[in-house]
Amino acid sequence: MTTNPAPAASPRGFSQNWRYRLRHVIPHLKNHRHAFVVGFLLLALTNLSAASIPYLLKLTTETVTAGAGSKEILHLTLGLILLSVVNAVLRVRARTHIFGIGRTVEYELRQRYHAHLLELDAPFFDGERTGDLVARGNNDITAIRMFVGPGFLQVCNTIMVYATTLPVMVGLDTTLTLLVLAPFPIVLGGTRLLTGRLYALSRQVADSFGHMSSFVQETITGIAVIRTHAREEDWNRQFANEANAYYQANVHHARLQSLFNPLTTLSGSIGAILLLSLGGNEVAKGHITVGDFVAFSGYLAILIMPTVGFGWILTVMQRGLASLERVGRILDATPAKAYTPEIPPLPRDPKRWLGGITIKNLHFSYDKGPEILKNISLTIPPGAFIGLVGRVGSGKSTLLNCLARLYPVPPQKIWLDDQDLTDIDETDLRRNLAMAPQESFLFATTLRENLDPGNRGMDDQTLWSALNMVALDEEVSGFPQGLDSLLGERGITLSGGQRQRVALARLLLANPTILLLDDVFSNVDAKTEETILVNLKTLAGQRTILMVCHRVAALHHADHIHLLEAGEIRDSGNHAQLMASSSLYQSLHHQMARMEALQSLALPVNTPGSTP
Amino acid sequence: MTPTIHSETEETRYGSFLDWRLFARFLSYTLPYRNWIAAALIFLPVTALLQIAQPIVIKRAVDHHLTTGAMEGFQLLLLLFVALVLSQFAIAYMQSVVNNLLGQRVVRDLRQHLFSHLLFLDAGFFNRHTSGRLTNRITSDTEAVSQMVTSGLVNLVGDLLLLLGIAISMAWLAPGLSLVTLLAMPVIIAGTIFITRKMRLVQRQGRLYLARMAGRMTEEVEGSSVLRLFACQNHRKEQFGTINRQHYDSFLTSNFLEATQFSFIDAASTITIALLFWYGASLAEQGEVTIGTIVAFIDYIRRIFFPIRDLSGKFTTMQAAMTALERIFNLLDTPAAIRDPSHNHPLPAFQGEIRFNQVDFGYGNTLVIHNLSCTIAPGEKCAIVGPTGAGKTSLVKLINRIHEPLRGQVFIDNLPVSHYPLSTLRTLVGMVQQETFLFAGTIAQNINLNENRISRETIHAAASESGALAFIERLPNGFDTLLTERGGNLSAGERQLLGITRMFAFNPAILVMDEATSSVDTISERMIQDALKKLMQNRTALIIAHRLSTVQNCDRILVLVQGRIVESGTHTQLLEKNGVYAQLYALQFQSEGNDPCNGPGKNPENLVGIGGSPCPITPKPY
Repeated sequence: MTTNPAPAASPRGFSQNWRYRLRHVIPHLKNHRHAFVVGFLLLALTNLSAASIPYLLKLTTETVTAGAGSKEILHLTLGLILLSVVNAVLRVRARTHIFGIGRTVEYELRQRYHAHLLELDAPFFDGERTGDLVARGNNDITAIRMFVGPGFLQVCNTIMVYATTLPVMVGLDTTLTLLVLAPFPIVLGGTRLLTGRLYALSRQVADSFGHMSSFVQETITGIAVIRTHAREEDWNRQFANEANAYYQANVHHARLQSLFNPLTTLSGSIGAILLLSLGGNEVAKGHITVGDFVAFSGYLAILIMPTVGFGWILTVMQRGLASLERVGRILDATPAKAYTPEIPPLPRDPKRWLGGITIKNLHFSYDKGPEILKNISLTIPPGAFIGLVGRVGSGKSTLLNCLARLYPVPPQKIWLDDQDLTDIDETDLRRNLAMAPQESFLFATTLRENLDPGNRGMDDQTLWSALNMVALDEEVSGFPQGLDSLLGERGITLSGGQRQRVALARLLLANPTILLLDDVFSNVDAKTEETILVNLKTLAGQRTILMVCHRVAALHHADHIHLLEAGEIRDSGNHAQLMASSSLYQSLHHQMARMEALQSLALPVNTPGSTP
Repeated sequence: MTPTIHSETEETRYGSFLDWRLFARFLSYTLPYRNWIAAALIFLPVTALLQIAQPIVIKRAVDHHLTTGAMEGFQLLLLLFVALVLSQFAIAYMQSVVNNLLGQRVVRDLRQHLFSHLLFLDAGFFNRHTSGRLTNRITSDTEAVSQMVTSGLVNLVGDLLLLLGIAISMAWLAPGLSLVTLLAMPVIIAGTIFITRKMRLVQRQGRLYLARMAGRMTEEVEGSSVLRLFACQNHRKEQFGTINRQHYDSFLTSNFLEATQFSFIDAASTITIALLFWYGASLAEQGEVTIGTIVAFIDYIRRIFFPIRDLSGKFTTMQAAMTALERIFNLLDTPAAIRDPSHNHPLPAFQGEIRFNQVDFGYGNTLVIHNLSCTIAPGEKCAIVGPTGAGKTSLVKLINRIHEPLRGQVFIDNLPVSHYPLSTLRTLVGMVQQETFLFAGTIAQNINLNENRISRETIHAAASESGALAFIERLPNGFDTLLTERGGNLSAGERQLLGITRMFAFNPAILVMDEATSSVDTISERMIQDALKKLMQNRTALIIAHRLSTVQNCDRILVLVQGRIVESGTHTQLLEKNGVYAQLYALQFQSEGNDPCNGPGKNPENLVGIGGSPCPITPKPY
């Protein structure tokens, strides 16, 4: 059971170690301790009634062999029927109850895990694989449930079955009991060994299935390369290898898996053989009755399944422990101090922010990487429309990420309305500052829910007016279900430009004081962009807008432009000033203008609004 | 205990139990394994007989020896029993192995067939289907079919055979007594099937909830910034909680049903046994039934419940397999639109001339290329410039038959491209795409794409020519460095350099390229530029150009607007013509003359730099 020592095991001994390993389930177990007691009692009653059945059978058999009256047999029969019904009802209650505890713990743990995931932030996610995080939330928590529910049931059950059955058997015939039970330790050990090995093998099957799947997925994504280089034959061969590896893993698994059921049957039969060969003589000699013989075979049938089950559950519990460790690693992770007020945030004036931004000597790098921002200092007055421009990799998006507190920035670097960014309350910050990131991430749900992701209950009119501002209302009214259209694979697939405009509408609906726009028009055509920009300008004065620009028009609209180059602010000023003073700005500007001129060669063939 | 592979997805639905049309077609895949099938089928009556015989032996032991005390011949009977038990074990094991292997082998073939079929489907097909669904066809759907073979079909026949055998044996032992059992049987069968079906439905629902939770978590991890920015954690938590609760409810119901099923079977068998005793006692009085018969009957009753319980599960397996088969065969029936020529044409000696003859091409109803004719001479370097959506990429993809023209033909050295075997054509024409797709694997594998004829020396030489060698040698394991999915650990410029290295390695006679644009930083841009210049030497080259320097290095420039060539000629000729190209150049010159970073004319700037769309806009005066 202790194949996976806890990484930070306490030195204070065995029980401390276990307490550490179980730290994330113990609170749940404690909460349900009454339920466990009830479950235990139910199980005890179930086993008691179950153990009485073979005994009654013995009595019946003896009565039949003795040739007694049919009245007696009728009573016994009715007793048997009654007892089996009572046993069935008790068993259902006990199992449902105990499995219910496991399910409840699973539910609670999954809620906790999910809530914790939502608390973690960008620096954490940068270092994790999505599939892995999801697997922990699903498969691993399921494995922990097995540990709690079926694990408890099986362990209690095995103990009780033996506790109730053994005395009766011994009472009937001690030697016979010992002899008949002789193969059971082997059954237990064998099951334990077999299930352990089987789990390892099914892991391999699942892994090779995963490899095969990702190979196919990658092939489909890269099919163009394979085709243009006429490499189909080779890819066929590679797939054959993958498929064969999966086949081989299955063969190994099947060889062992196929042993499982026949072995269980066999171990039951071995008991019967022993009973026949040893008990048969006893009966024949008249030492025990035929009724005892029947009862013995009944008890053997009762004992064999819990024994096999016990071997299995030990393996399941071992897996549960390993899963607990994997889940624990995530539950122990804490958000990277993006928000750590030294002092509790002051009760703030409920009125809205003004929207001023000050940055002083900001340096930033992602997780020990090269410095992306170098000594950035700037002041943005409330209500300004600021443009950010620069080449690919100059640090524009990173600057917005820092301002939006998606990545941690040291204190005394950024102030919003004279309040240090690291001291601002999370709710307060999100109410007043919002950003439309570069890749417009939408959820696979309705358009309405994407526009109002926090479910603040916005009415249709509000939603439509935002769609109107981003020039998307006409297209949406063309959707069959309008605002309630499902987006994503199972609904409407939006074009890149449409996605960007939905993300922008979402931002406007959040109604923040500070708006950060990261290249939100890259897939929107210039004419639509112009319309939206004019709409955005109506917000000027009341909203601070900071926008990464990739088109000439946006630059013309901005009150003030900061030009970034290699993580530094190279030049600042309005369009006219920069055209006069900054050669880098001129060069970038011409590049954009040229590109747009080239576009203008084509006649409008698409519907206005977007390009795929 | 079974592998943790869920072939069930949101797409899974349940169709008919057995569709003969689909099944007959599937049988053709099992033909190579007819010996295996024969083995699996032969085992069935044998296991059934072994199981039926055991209670009879016990009956004999009880009646002839135990009750009478005559132990003569008892040892023999015991040996017989041991033999029966051991053979049942051995055969049950072999049967399970054979079924498993049979299922996996048949499906391995089906899988391979699907995969190679998929490889030759055309680009249009892949645009219409998501990679996730297609992957499911090859992996999960085939797995459902294998389940049908492994645990469905053969065992179904076996179970039915066993039930029949037990019924016959019981009737033969004691017709009256078996009547009691047979009366109880329908109740038990109906009850079990009812509960099991219900349980499967609830479990399926529960698994879908689990999948839905996984979907949400995936989305939330990928969009974690958006969640934070718009403070929607609480709302998401609530929604997740609802699904989690539904999942909890489903499985609680399923647990209840499971316990009920288990207890129902248990109670039903005890009650049947009680009834047996009651009825048997009166028969025994009349000497019709012995105590041994009653013991044998108890044994039989314990044996029939597992097959009954498993029956309804097998129906579900079959249904899932039929749906999967339908989708699999649909995919196999999708014809490849672009195929090898039906018969061999003599290939001309290679010159390198490309000729478009009155070519029309389009997607759906929109024509992208209109009646285009043009010839590119052997060894000529030809640039194509034009706005986005002008049909540049579509045009070059006609050369190596990624697309097929709607009308007209494309020739290489006077032979229509459709007359070349596909692999020959595509080896002849090399294509560099705007973004280089990299596979998970080593750098070397990504350069030679596992083509063994391209040795390590060639790879090295190619990398040295393209200039990629410098960064490859800086990597921890050089050419053997493993790339993560899609080359995530390389920069855009490095990926593009690898794409060009691939070209040097494959050394095609004709080169077609879509020049890389915005996503490359300044340093890589210059390296790529140099590499391309080298690559074009001694080949016929057709380049969709975005940089002026590339254009100027070409022998001829084609200006493509709306699927038509509107201007054609050398740089000087086109400038003299004072048309579209000249306008573009004017803008270019103005910018380059003032470029402070790179000096006049040194750094080739983008002609089309920052992705965009076709739309009329008059550049603002500045």
